Amino acid sequence: MQSRRRRPGVAATAVALGVSLILLSGCGDLSRDELTRGVESIAALAAQGQLVANGVARDGTKSTYARVMAKTLGGEAEHEAEKLADAEPSPQVRPERNAAVQVATELAGLFSELQTFPGDEHHGALVEKHMGEVEAQAEALVERLGGDAG
Amino acid sequence: MKSILKIALGIIAALGGFLDIGDIVFNTQAGALFRYDLLWAVALGTLGIAVYAEMCGRVAAVTGRPVFDVIRMRLGFGLGLAALIASTAVNLLTVAAELGGLAIVLQLLFDAEFSLFVVLAAIGLVIVVALLPFGGIERLFGYCGLLMIVFVATAINQGPDWGAVAHGFIPSFSSSTLYLYFVVGVFAAALMPYEVHFYSSGAVEEHWDESSLMENRLNAIIGYALGGVLACSLVVVSGYLFHPLGVDPADLGTAALPVQNAYGETGLLLALGGIMFCVGGAAVDSSFSASYNLAQFLGWEWGRYRGPKKAPRFTASWLVFLFLAMLVVLSGINPVEITEYSVVFAVVALPMTYLPVLLIAGDRSFMGDHANGPVSRTLGWAYFALILVLATAALPLLLATNGGGG
Repeated sequence: MQSRRRRPGVAATAVALGVSLILLSGCGDLSRDELTRGVESIAALAAQGQLVANGVARDGTKSTYARVMAKTLGGEAEHEAEKLADAEPSPQVRPERNAAVQVATELAGLFSELQTFPGDEHHGALVEKHMGEVEAQAEALVERLGGDAG
Repeated sequence: MKSILKIALGIIAALGGFLDIGDIVFNTQAGALFRYDLLWAVALGTLGIAVYAEMCGRVAAVTGRPVFDVIRMRLGFGLGLAALIASTAVNLLTVAAELGGLAIVLQLLFDAEFSLFVVLAAIGLVIVVALLPFGGIERLFGYCGLLMIVFVATAINQGPDWGAVAHGFIPSFSSSTLYLYFVVGVFAAALMPYEVHFYSSGAVEEHWDESSLMENRLNAIIGYALGGVLACSLVVVSGYLFHPLGVDPADLGTAALPVQNAYGETGLLLALGGIMFCVGGAAVDSSFSASYNLAQFLGWEWGRYRGPKKAPRFTASWLVFLFLAMLVVLSGINPVEITEYSVVFAVVALPMTYLPVLLIAGDRSFMGDHANGPVSRTLGWAYFALILVLATAALPLLLATNGGGG
């Protein structure tokens, strides 16, 4: 009899465990390392963007080149933002994830500005400066997350 | 004097036509990721292609047989067919990658829809091939590809730590799978099978005979060695600028950024022009190679010098390969990704290309006094052993690194 009474308990525990696993599988699928790698990608894109913007700022590029590069890199920044926004972070890194999404979105906006004004030296200089700030923010985030993802 | 000029022009064409999208992508990424650490792999690959190109040219000059003829003869029908299928698949991917690269450069220069430039690039190549004789095609892309010298000038202008650059030529190993993946990629990009298929068929197209052996040797040794300098300059400029910034040059246009940084708009235009002629030339070479292989294996009349009327199936197959490559690029796959896959899959097909060449070039009953000497034989077998190791490691490394994505 005892064993019969226990069986529903065991089954309930198993079901509860299964449900918990299913529910938990939707949470925390963005690890600290993955987030760090994502933020490092954003920093690298910002560094590359500064090189493109620098060419615009000193009238040392071709506007078609600057526009196409800005469009391509901006698309990559946007993709990174979406990827991070869609991923479910573990509670410990949620604030950093949110900050990373914000930084990536800001970077995508800067690329969009460069794409609109690929021949404007003044805009180029401003975008270069802002991208430097975005890169610094991304690097600070990497620092907060504990350094290189390896 | 005339023959010296001819040899010099051949060397210049070999130098200008040395680089293709595989070299540009892998060498730029190698510099960004590992600074100068992979220069030794570039040098190793350059020596390898020089050794095998010299052998292929010699076999073609002495016997009148290009590489795929030799493959069929040595491997027999079954293995020859396997080699044909493997090399055709790799060639098709390579043509697609080069055509896509050409379209990317055109887009960077003129900013319109990418798909439009893919179609225009294919039409442009057909027009060039239709209008120019074989030698003219080779010279157009070879000489204009010399614009890539701007990367050497950029490397000098940057003033890198030359001690560190020199140190990069000392082979170093790491347990990092990404590092090993790039060793394979950089090495294989220099040894793409289409290069020797094209080189040996080109020797037949230009009616080389035993009197051309010196030209062949100088083309292969000096032309490719100088081409190796261009390849190394890609690693150096990228390692100097991108490595400290953590930039990932995942786009072909990024390769030109160091030159823009050094020389402004003029430098950028020279770099984009150089890349355009390199990838354009490689698109012609690789599509011709695909048709050469097919025609030589099936015993069709072949050769640009014969013209479409005398070699209709060869001409038609060339157009079909170009069209199929265009469809691959228009499908939306990133040309840089196609490049990475084409280079890695090429490694797997390398042994089937290089073993028959090595056997024939060393066969005295076939080559007479022009068979491999001790240096060619030793280098040839050493490289073949290396190729076998890399062919075994290539696919696992591709999977382990997620296609170089880390």
